[in-house]
Amino acid sequence: MGNTLLEFKNLVTEFRTEGTSVKAVKGISFTLNRGETIGIVGESGSGKSVTSLSAMRLIPNPPGEITGGEIIFHQKDGTATDLLKISEEEMRVFRGNDIAMIFQEPMTSLNPVFTCGNQVVEAIMLHQKLNKKQAKELTIKLFEEVQLPDPERIFRTYPHQISGGQKQRVMIAMAMSCQPSVLIADEPTTALDVTVQKTILQLMQKLQTERDMGIMFITHDLGVIAELADKVVVMYKGDIVEQGNVWDIFSNPQHPYTKGLLACRPPLDKRYTFLPTVSDFMKTDENGKIIENNISVEEFTKDLAIPLSERENKHKELYSKEPILQIKNLKTYFPIRNGFFGGISEYVRAVDNITFDVYPGETLGLVGESGCGKTTTGRTIIRLEEPTEGEMIYKGKDIAKMNTKELREFRKEVQIIFQDPYSSLNPRMTIGNAIMEPMQVHSILDNDEQRKKRVEDLLTRVNLDPSHFYRYPHEFSGGQRQRIGIARALAVNPKFIICDESVSALDVSVQAQVLNLLNELKEEFGLTYIFISHDLSVVKYMSDRMVVMQAGQIEEMGDADQIYNQPGTEYTKKLINAIPEGKLEDIKRHLERKGVKVG
Amino acid sequence: MIKYLIKKIAYGLLVLWGVLTLVFFLFQIMPADPARMMLSQREDSKQLELIKQKYGFDKSISEQYFLYLNDVSIISFHNNSDIDAYTYLTPGKYKEQQLFSVSSTTVVLKRPYLRESFIKNGKPVTAILSETFPVTMVLAITSIMFAILFGIILGVLTAIYKDTIWDRFILFFSVLGMSLPSFFSSIIVAWLFAYVLHDFTNLNMTGSLNEVDDYGRGQFLNLKNLILPALTLGIRPLSVIIQLSRNSMLEVLSMDYVRTATAKGLSKFVVVFKHALLNALNPVVTVISGWFASLLAGAVFVEYIFAWNGIGKEIVDALNNLDMPVVMGAVMLIASVFVVINIVVDFTYALIDPRIRLN
Repeated sequence: MGNTLLEFKNLVTEFRTEGTSVKAVKGISFTLNRGETIGIVGESGSGKSVTSLSAMRLIPNPPGEITGGEIIFHQKDGTATDLLKISEEEMRVFRGNDIAMIFQEPMTSLNPVFTCGNQVVEAIMLHQKLNKKQAKELTIKLFEEVQLPDPERIFRTYPHQISGGQKQRVMIAMAMSCQPSVLIADEPTTALDVTVQKTILQLMQKLQTERDMGIMFITHDLGVIAELADKVVVMYKGDIVEQGNVWDIFSNPQHPYTKGLLACRPPLDKRYTFLPTVSDFMKTDENGKIIENNISVEEFTKDLAIPLSERENKHKELYSKEPILQIKNLKTYFPIRNGFFGGISEYVRAVDNITFDVYPGETLGLVGESGCGKTTTGRTIIRLEEPTEGEMIYKGKDIAKMNTKELREFRKEVQIIFQDPYSSLNPRMTIGNAIMEPMQVHSILDNDEQRKKRVEDLLTRVNLDPSHFYRYPHEFSGGQRQRIGIARALAVNPKFIICDESVSALDVSVQAQVLNLLNELKEEFGLTYIFISHDLSVVKYMSDRMVVMQAGQIEEMGDADQIYNQPGTEYTKKLINAIPEGKLEDIKRHLERKGVKVG
Repeated sequence: MIKYLIKKIAYGLLVLWGVLTLVFFLFQIMPADPARMMLSQREDSKQLELIKQKYGFDKSISEQYFLYLNDVSIISFHNNSDIDAYTYLTPGKYKEQQLFSVSSTTVVLKRPYLRESFIKNGKPVTAILSETFPVTMVLAITSIMFAILFGIILGVLTAIYKDTIWDRFILFFSVLGMSLPSFFSSIIVAWLFAYVLHDFTNLNMTGSLNEVDDYGRGQFLNLKNLILPALTLGIRPLSVIIQLSRNSMLEVLSMDYVRTATAKGLSKFVVVFKHALLNALNPVVTVISGWFASLLAGAVFVEYIFAWNGIGKEIVDALNNLDMPVVMGAVMLIASVFVVINIVVDFTYALIDPRIRLN
């Protein structure tokens, strides 16, 4: 047992609300060893975050409560402590000192009113007998270790002054500050760009080897942990459905849920008629019992691939037509006002002289890191932002010069689906009314009765129940809300839809469902898409052509496959390399580096 | 920072000028003849003319306006050659400091001159205000301090012990406190603490900060009299601050960085009072400043009921007697108080929140 670090034995965590009790974690057991990385994988609601918060005893109470089981922490000197049995005072000694945690949202996980340095110093002085000066020196050393540029400066800055990736590095430095033996990372890279994600993952790997920590890495995306984890625990609805070493899980998944998670990532080397989802591998009956399909990932995807010739034929037809939208030298600048009478002193060049065409029936992908201007481009096209310069010709008319009536007509044809399914629906409006509203504005159909009928049809079309008409947004999950957003966009019979990071906030498994839905709708209604995302793998899968953007300008543009296979610029290469593919070769290399023989 | 301050002061002066203009023209359209009023029952047309001349009532409105502007402003312009010009500076009118002269115009630096009361035997308005304003200031500061101290502490405690019996209890009283009109709560407080419980408290039902002794000791400070009016005046801001800091605290306590602080191993006390409280203060500061400013503007009812000789009471008296210079002076003073507090609040925000400070 000398090597054991953290043992979970039959852990049960419940959430109680108004009489009813929901078991978020239903008696799970697994072991984390010293110097080992465990990946805990599952969709939102699978109980993976609750598991990690339970280990820190950070479950908000009420409504949450740990009602059963043990979490045993083995110290270096051999003493074992059940973390669930000690008092809050005793627990505080472990928190941050022996077990440290990093969270999903680097943007909100640091206190905005204290400097980054102070927040790390605070943690150090709490657990170690160091004075302020020594703590500061240690902090700066840690900042160097997590590869923050100019550590002395970062020490003095406030969280809002640095980027998301840098904030996550500060969080990691804080977690590392007391040399913990366990590091719990709860989706530490989900909110970050893929390129930043890659560097953070490399950093965590490096720190782990140097310090011989045990890491619990929680994620919804199997691809992310492929090159980091030794063991994988797959969770589904509060239970562990499968656990084993990373090679076995990836090369020979046993449980249908694991198969589904592995298969639902958009493939980079081919295109499917539709993406496999978890429900293709398993169903649940009304008692929540899992019914397997007994089919392997290879068997299932064998017939899904679209042959290259078919795509070429389609493109030939697609690009022989006149473009539906022509963007010429578009510029969107945001003024910074700080003069005495609100004078403009500077501009942020969000979109800086870009030119591209969109052909009817195609999907044009817009890809780049956050802040590259891709979202502003989308918003400018439907005049949510005013262009500073340039032309946007939609069906022969310049969008920027349309009068009120023409703009109304234009907005009926061109719709946008926003990024955040949580905040883009009005919480005080039933979803039926939310979908009906644009129809009323544009006087589609004669009366509300007919419109209601149509809303119900639309809800069915996006795989929701027509009876959901009278429900409010908070009753739906993220994926369902995004489908409501899609139904709302479809309500006015658009020809052209801009998907602005429409799947970025979703779990990979839900993402696959939404991507499938978007592709089906495109065929069915003959739509044209501009598909905006920071995730090159998703854009590549969805698009016919893609535009890579950086700092408001176009870096590269062309056939999606061609750009992926032969990236023309360093920037595109960087984006492609950062995609966590979860390829078996990569896992093998990663394991062999650690001295484990596989295959 | 300095640039920001100058900008704020410039905006403030603009506001004051607007208030002055508004007040001046409002009183122009009031149906009263101050010159007549000053004479009260006497019928003496010569005297009437003299008064009109002295106060400038015989001049055109635009001239009167400019004259008033000149009086109130720190820097004023005067005609030094023509003794009949309306801007001619009568020696001894203010204690001025001459800056410079260009041809026949002299520019003068001075303290704002708010003219004289029509009825109190020509007592300067500045003197009246400097007697009453500090008295109100003492009352306002005491009650806002009381409200801030207990409001924030109770707000934080109710947030931590949300949904317990104490939370409900305090919330009930804060709702009650907010909805009680001050003239009513003054009477209740005065009756309860100074009449019913007088044997325990030994407090008086009415009384001002400075009282005149019956035994010939002259004027003396009576701090005891401060307690009841300050308490009464503090009830509403207290209730508002409790609710606001509770809500704001609840929001902040659910933030990720509070969880981060707990995950570091900090004690609940440090998490709440160091990490959460500073973040929860911004909306509270806004409310405090608003209430403080309006308390300084005079809590008319409370001052009246407790016979507190503050500015609120003074304004009501002046309005009853149509004593325009006093009213206008008081309005200008209150407006300046608002402007100053707004500037102070802006800097307090910056002090609390680096996101504001650094942008």
